[in-house]
Amino acid sequence: MEYIFAVLTFTGITVIGVLGSYLVTGLTGLFSFGQAAFFSVGAYTSVVLVKNLDVPFLLAVPAAMATGLLAGFLVGYPTVRLRRDYISLVTFGFGEAIIALLNNSVNLTGGAMGLSGIPQYTNFAVVWGSVAVCLTLVVGYKYSKYGRQCLALRADELAAKAMGINVNRIKLVTFLFAAAMTSYAGVLYAFYTTYVEPGAFGWIVSAEWIIIVFVGGINSLTGSVFATILLTGLPEMLRFASEWRVAVYCVIVLLIINYRPIGIFGEFELTFKWLRQLGKKGVKVS
Amino acid sequence: MSIQQLLNGVSLGSVYALIAVGFALVFNILKFSNFAHGGVMTLTAYIGLAAALFFSTWLSGLSLFAVTLLSAALAGALVGIVLERMAFRRIRNNNSPVIYYFISSITMGILMENIVTIFASSTFYSYPRFFELTVVNIAHVNIALTDLLMLVFSSVALMILLWVLYRTRIGLAIRALSFDVNTANLMGMDSNRVVMATFIAAGILGGIAGVFLGINYTLYPQLGQLIVKGFIASVIGGLGSITGAMIGAVLLGVLEVTLIGAVGAGIAPVFVFIVMLVFLLVRPRGISGIIVQEKA
Amino acid sequence: MSHLEAKNLSKAFGGVQAIDDFSFSVGERQIVGIIGPNGAGKTTAFNLLTGVYPLDKGKVFLDGEELSGLPQYQITQTGIARTFQNIRLFKGLNVIENVMTAADPYSTYNLADVFLYSGRKRRRENEVREMSRSFLALVGLAGYEDEKPENLPYGLQRKLELARALASNPKVLLLDEPAAGLNPSEVQDFIRLIQAVHEKFALSVLVIEHRMEVIMTLCANIYVLNFGKLLASGTPSQIQNNSEVTTAYIGEEDEACLL
Repeated sequence: MEYIFAVLTFTGITVIGVLGSYLVTGLTGLFSFGQAAFFSVGAYTSVVLVKNLDVPFLLAVPAAMATGLLAGFLVGYPTVRLRRDYISLVTFGFGEAIIALLNNSVNLTGGAMGLSGIPQYTNFAVVWGSVAVCLTLVVGYKYSKYGRQCLALRADELAAKAMGINVNRIKLVTFLFAAAMTSYAGVLYAFYTTYVEPGAFGWIVSAEWIIIVFVGGINSLTGSVFATILLTGLPEMLRFASEWRVAVYCVIVLLIINYRPIGIFGEFELTFKWLRQLGKKGVKVS
Repeated sequence: MSIQQLLNGVSLGSVYALIAVGFALVFNILKFSNFAHGGVMTLTAYIGLAAALFFSTWLSGLSLFAVTLLSAALAGALVGIVLERMAFRRIRNNNSPVIYYFISSITMGILMENIVTIFASSTFYSYPRFFELTVVNIAHVNIALTDLLMLVFSSVALMILLWVLYRTRIGLAIRALSFDVNTANLMGMDSNRVVMATFIAAGILGGIAGVFLGINYTLYPQLGQLIVKGFIASVIGGLGSITGAMIGAVLLGVLEVTLIGAVGAGIAPVFVFIVMLVFLLVRPRGISGIIVQEKA
Repeated sequence: MSHLEAKNLSKAFGGVQAIDDFSFSVGERQIVGIIGPNGAGKTTAFNLLTGVYPLDKGKVFLDGEELSGLPQYQITQTGIARTFQNIRLFKGLNVIENVMTAADPYSTYNLADVFLYSGRKRRRENEVREMSRSFLALVGLAGYEDEKPENLPYGLQRKLELARALASNPKVLLLDEPAAGLNPSEVQDFIRLIQAVHEKFALSVLVIEHRMEVIMTLCANIYVLNFGKLLASGTPSQIQNNSEVTTAYIGEEDEACLL
């Protein structure tokens, strides 16, 4: 039972990370390989503050998010005005740079050995409470002028500009929102596992999150959450041979890209309206 | 900076140039960043290792080295073909948006890295020592033999590529297609063949780069992440420019060697990244000055 | 008093002079046409007006205020809206959301409103939705609000683009071949729609078109471009009787399109 709770807690943390990727990739059409790096920025900042500087945990959380924001600004500001490919290339570089930094600031971060003995301040309830809050924020964002403008510029950047949308600003705001939220997920992670090491935050993690968003359906939050649970929760519980897990992922994704390009859920969202209609008429998914 | 360091930097840069150009070739023609290229390098580096171990019973020295390089290059060509067929042909024919190319390339990148992890596990391998001699002295400058070989072989490979691009029919076709896919198709060009040729060329470069990276850093499944050097070189050089990528790569090599001397190898990537960010702020279009924009 | 004024626009792509010293003006509440053979630089002129490309030379003024040099989105916000020759709707947004995005830059609620689901946000969202609904009704798309734009027939997509342009609250409307791909009865329909919109919102309109019936019915003034240069300008009847214009067209354009 305890094991299942642990798995579910990790799944919840991953959901928040995936929500960040959803904002950047699903909603805005940018590919960020730096999401895991923001995760590690959040984790390490909070841990160093709490362990080395005796900062109270509740103060360390906003500090970690602010650091994530700052890092996001440094990376995002020069890149959002350029062609989309730049943000992938630059965030990839950012991820590598952060890992190099963590590995080489031994005094502060413990280097490749990481930091252990972190107090366990978070638990299942805190994590899933956070998931609920983050989900609420992201839903609010998606169904606002921000979300619409993101989707518009994802579809056609030139037309979006011609409609008066400040494309660079919207991209930056979304990127920063995701950076702050992902840093927060990092804090949750560090204070749940009680142990952090640089190796856990490579580009593969960011890439997996993007893939989860895509598998769920590029424009579906419901899909992102569902796919996270399916792709990270289940294999853990069923004790899949973990070394093949990623390979299986990849094959599934290739099949989806080629044969169901809109992802599992497409643009479908689970809403109250849909549930009511379901009650009346039965299922109809486009 | 000593001549010694400059030479080291240039030879390192020449390997980065292989990476950057392999990346730029595909970028030019399909207009997306091919993240699978890192995986290609990892996979071919291991295939090169297998070849080296297999042939080491009969060959040694330069001939073994050449055979290793050749096998990796051939493997690269093969992987290029498989990649194009499996990951990109169908979405290209469906006229899918660029997002799908991204996802496909990321997925293939992870898949290749994962295959290597599964079969070679996460242990570190290294190539057999090809030469007894480690340092050569040219005009009173000592240069590591591997550095010299990297410089020579990379330059030759890139020169051949440029010759193919600018002096052959298929090269002309590649350039035409990267200029405008629709018009090229209208002119009756078989774009499938040209795209395939591009992936083969990129694969060959990836294979050669893979071996050199393996020699430089030993072999490990995450070797392909060094693709980041190619990215940085492309950003400095100007995305979409082949000559820009080469120049950017050499500059990056020299910068890196200098930084390693100044602040140490571990932390150097952080400084390189900062330099790149500043560069983007000051000159976003890169050295070559081409702006690749989504078409109006 | 001239509303939109372009002075000496010039733009070269590589060695090709796409637009060469082209000046024109669109008076307040006037409908003005730009015609010319394919490749004459008409769409490039639009792209220069709206800031898609930087100008090599020349200036653009709206009500005496200089627009050239501003980023695209600001030019739109000062009051220039456009449609595209090859319809560019936002896939991934439904029909009404496509229109709403054009009004979104004018919404002043902020992130805090979004995260707290404030009343201010809700009110503005409802307002924008209602406004967009009325624009859709105006162009004849009532009832299609929740459709995907790519599922609409071509003629309706053109109308949706028009509704979206209107939602950005323009003073000047730039229409890039609005009648392309429409059948004759749809063309008549569209002409009436443009006239209605022009009246209702007191707009100035600049229209590129190949269909002469559109240009001749709508425009008070016409500019003829050829190889990026101004060939002639004047009223429809002046243009019809201009021999240079006829020469520029014959052999390059199907006459059926002209007349």
